[in-house]
Amino acid sequence: MTPPTDHPVIIEHLTKRYGDHTVVDDLSFTVEPGRVTGFLGPNGSGKSTTMKMMLDLAKAHGGRATIGGQRYRDLADPARTVGAMIESDAFHPGRSGRNHLRILAEATGVPRRRVDEVLAEVGLTDAARRNAGGYSLGMRQRLGLAAALLGEPPVLILDEPGNGLDPEGIRTLRDRLRAQAAAGGTVFVSSHLLDEVEHLADDVVVINGGRLVAQGSLAELQQAASLVRTADADQLAAELEQAGASVEMHGPDSLVVRSMPIDEVGDRAFTAGVALHELSPRAGSLEELFLSWTTTPSVDREVTPS
Amino acid sequence: MNIIRLVRSELRKLTSTKMPLAFLAVLAVMAGINAFAVIAGTDFDGSKAFIATEADQQSLMAFAANALAIAGLFGAIATAREYGHHTVVPTFLAEPRRHRAVLAQFGAIGVGGGVLGLVGAGLTAVAVAVALPATDFGFLVSTGNLTRVLAASMLAGAAGAILGAGIGMLVRNVGGAVTGVVLALLIAPPLVVQLASGTASWMPSVLANVVSGVGNDIDPTAAVAAIAVWAIVPAAAGLIAVQRRDVD
Repeated sequence: MTPPTDHPVIIEHLTKRYGDHTVVDDLSFTVEPGRVTGFLGPNGSGKSTTMKMMLDLAKAHGGRATIGGQRYRDLADPARTVGAMIESDAFHPGRSGRNHLRILAEATGVPRRRVDEVLAEVGLTDAARRNAGGYSLGMRQRLGLAAALLGEPPVLILDEPGNGLDPEGIRTLRDRLRAQAAAGGTVFVSSHLLDEVEHLADDVVVINGGRLVAQGSLAELQQAASLVRTADADQLAAELEQAGASVEMHGPDSLVVRSMPIDEVGDRAFTAGVALHELSPRAGSLEELFLSWTTTPSVDREVTPS
Repeated sequence: MNIIRLVRSELRKLTSTKMPLAFLAVLAVMAGINAFAVIAGTDFDGSKAFIATEADQQSLMAFAANALAIAGLFGAIATAREYGHHTVVPTFLAEPRRHRAVLAQFGAIGVGGGVLGLVGAGLTAVAVAVALPATDFGFLVSTGNLTRVLAASMLAGAAGAILGAGIGMLVRNVGGAVTGVVLALLIAPPLVVQLASGTASWMPSVLANVVSGVGNDIDPTAAVAAIAVWAIVPAAAGLIAVQRRDVD
């Protein structure tokens, strides 16, 4: 298991453009050691590009990404500091899974015995001598994960590691990542599987259109909404949206308000002369939150506890 | 990061798929064709004059021009498939200072090309030697000249592989890279010579023959240097492109 370390991943004003199109726009956030951070966003929101810039696979047009205070390319032993899985099919189909890992072990100075250890860890021992081109999607994911874990790195950066995994594989992945974080490691995982992130992540970073739309503790974000019941729902919704809140209608007389502390919701209702029949904290599912964050105009949201 | 480790890793890449076997099979077929030519071939007058002297036999065995082209394809496929299969991603994660990773690739692919060139020339020499007893002529090539043929083919193989690797890095697509090598080594040179006849001595196949000792268009040392330039120019272009581009 990875020894405890202190390798925060810090993203500062990261920007990437392809022609006139800005795919990552002044993005800043921190991934803390000892926690699992989920990286969420719709397709094309810039998640993979951000991860590639973290790992110096893509050049940033502005800003920087550091891991333990250094850029990836400046790390003394990058592949043994950061385990990354960026392309799930980054292997030659005519090469065995074991040889794929032996090549990486040789390049990074990892002892050869570690190849067999990590194959066992991801449950690929029996298929190790088969050509990777014959692997199922789940087995390919396991091979990618094995490559990331090969150097026993304190930092893991994984792009959609759960894709194609069966329930047992997902559970193994979750346990492995939780153990990594519990040992002081830094774990940054992008995923479309919101249920999985809900079970796995301590923190989330959410981007949309290349911009940060939410970040913070998942538990606090899930609590950071207020349920309002009033006969003047439309009027109050307009008032609150004008003040920067994210407002969702829940029936003719109910609103769910996010990005605004519950006290401020009450104060603004009072100022607007709107009578409230109910004002209470409301927990939301990650899916509900995700849709709220990614279907409304992007406004940076830190956790605003109710 | 130890560059020797990177080269070893790249060598394992080359030897852990069936691609080298395919190239060795091509070399064996070419050697077989040579043996058949020795046994069954004749000159226009029906004689076997094309194997009558040491110079004739050395010319038949001179494999360097073939080595240049075959190893060029080997190098192009070896690097272009890295992009097609995305294996360049773990390569640059293991060594984010890309120039080092690329130099290691050139080193390993150059070794691979050199081995292909040596094996190709060796198989051809063996095939000719085995076929000659079926004719009225013996094996006439001296050890020194045979050594030169083998060394020239190894050198041409290494240079061709590096040339191909550079083109593969530029094009990043196996089909395109193979086309690029064919254009650079086989199609463009005769066209260039037609436009500028003074350049004929500096074309790859002519240089390969000079190094093999079966041509005397220019000084052999200059020919070795010119072959190196043919390899270095696309390799440098590939290196610059890799440094500048994002990894897709």
